[in-house]
Amino acid sequence: MTYRIGSAEGFYGDDVLKALPMIMGGHVDVVCFEALAELTLAILQKDRLADPKRGYTFDIRTIAQQILPEAFKHKIPLITNGGGLNPLGAAEMVREVAAKMGLTGLKIAAVTGDDLHPRLSELQAMGESLAHLETGAALDLNEKMIVNANVYLGAAPIVEALRNGADMIITGRVADPCLYLAPMIAHYGWSWDDWDKLASGIVAGHLMECTGQVVGGNSLALIDSINPRDLPFLGYPIAHVEADGSFILSKTPDTAGCVTSATVKEQLLYEVHDPAHYITPDVVADFTTLRLEDLGSDQVRISGVTGRPRPKKLKLNLGRMEGYMRELIFTIGWPDAWKKVEQLKLMIDATWAKLPIERIEYHYLGLNSLYGNIAPLPEYPLEIVVRVMFTAQNADILKQAVRLMMNNGLSGPAGMSISGTTIGADPRIILGLWPTLIARERVVPEISYFEV
Amino acid sequence: MTKRLYDLAYGRAGDKGDIANVSVIARSPEAYQELKAKLSAERVKVHFGDLVTGEVMRYEMDNIEALNFVMYGALDGGGTRSLRIDGLGKSLAGALLYMTWDED
Repeated sequence: MTYRIGSAEGFYGDDVLKALPMIMGGHVDVVCFEALAELTLAILQKDRLADPKRGYTFDIRTIAQQILPEAFKHKIPLITNGGGLNPLGAAEMVREVAAKMGLTGLKIAAVTGDDLHPRLSELQAMGESLAHLETGAALDLNEKMIVNANVYLGAAPIVEALRNGADMIITGRVADPCLYLAPMIAHYGWSWDDWDKLASGIVAGHLMECTGQVVGGNSLALIDSINPRDLPFLGYPIAHVEADGSFILSKTPDTAGCVTSATVKEQLLYEVHDPAHYITPDVVADFTTLRLEDLGSDQVRISGVTGRPRPKKLKLNLGRMEGYMRELIFTIGWPDAWKKVEQLKLMIDATWAKLPIERIEYHYLGLNSLYGNIAPLPEYPLEIVVRVMFTAQNADILKQAVRLMMNNGLSGPAGMSISGTTIGADPRIILGLWPTLIARERVVPEISYFEV
Repeated sequence: MTKRLYDLAYGRAGDKGDIANVSVIARSPEAYQELKAKLSAERVKVHFGDLVTGEVMRYEMDNIEALNFVMYGALDGGGTRSLRIDGLGKSLAGALLYMTWDED
């Protein structure tokens, strides 16, 4: 009997209710919900600043209200990192919701210890430079306001919570594939240095952590075969894992979408750098040794994954407040369209000459906004849509810049117009990510239990 | 019609900070051998021009007949800072597959 792991969330806002047919149909033994992209924690910080009880993903409420009752009835544990910056607050909310629904005996675990924001000065004093992982630049804690600092935890605290009988486990920043690896370890009792098995579990997690992307979503390979009307209803992925770590990747039976060697290949390399060294907190996985067999009927078997010892350092991502950006879109048509674009740019330069605007970027939608200069621009276009992006430290400067441009309404190049929706838009915060590494021993995960 | 890399392969782009990766998955074993021989990291770097400011690394996956290109400085500072309309570089696989591919 294989152990079956379902994946019902790949980002904050995903359709978590896709867990229901997995659970009601008896197709899974556990369901994981992966909610945290690199940016998500910085976004959740805004919620937490507004209300200290928040800072977790709202999807957890949906999970608690609509999925948990069924999962608890079927004894299917639910695991999510959607606790974001406030796993304890999320667990308390779930406890209240569960109590109202009468789910007596339910045990919720909250995993914390990833939030290092309050400890940054202390960590630097202990000798952690927190230098930028890509550029090597030193981190000055006072240079820009730091919004959040979360280290990527591994599977261990989730494994412990599962062994202690938790029905729902809510974490903060646990590395995406480790969320899925944890129940495999808890079920099969894999040892923490059984690198090949751990790596195989990581590959299963990596393939499932973006839900729709392995069952027909975002697939260039399926461009001619997928029915676009099926896309909103794709059945989300399920891995059938053997005790040796090998697994069959499949999806919820009797649902739309497909799992083929092509969809698996596309997802295998998604957001991957060196495929021979896929680094996670629990193991370094080597994707180059694996075998992939398309068994048909939405089943792809993966075996032969190998692993190497886990890294001594863990990845820590800081979010820093770096200013604001704003967008304006202008439309310019024939005749002399390019000449008028140049006139627009010079007029903008003159209008904003006295404002502390930091960057101004011009892109021509439909001509070079996605692919830059990989193809030449047309010489005599009938129309040009000019997207102007500009930044400043202060949102008010951007508002003033827009007002000044509006004053030019009747004084611009001939026939120019501006997109009304962009006039009324608000400046957007620029949150810069600062990835760094810290020694593993600095990080101590904790588990708190909440019972109904 | 112009032959393009897309005729030999499909792929997907992903992001991590200011780094983008694009997988190039061969449509046949023959296509994979051709890609391995001719689609160098240098060639990809030249193709992307201003879109990629840093270096480009190439990784081979013989087991699934795919190449993986990792491009540094490819997202105008990364998804949160980028002023591009596609700040996460979701479309960058298309940019690479657009490369003209001469028959010889």
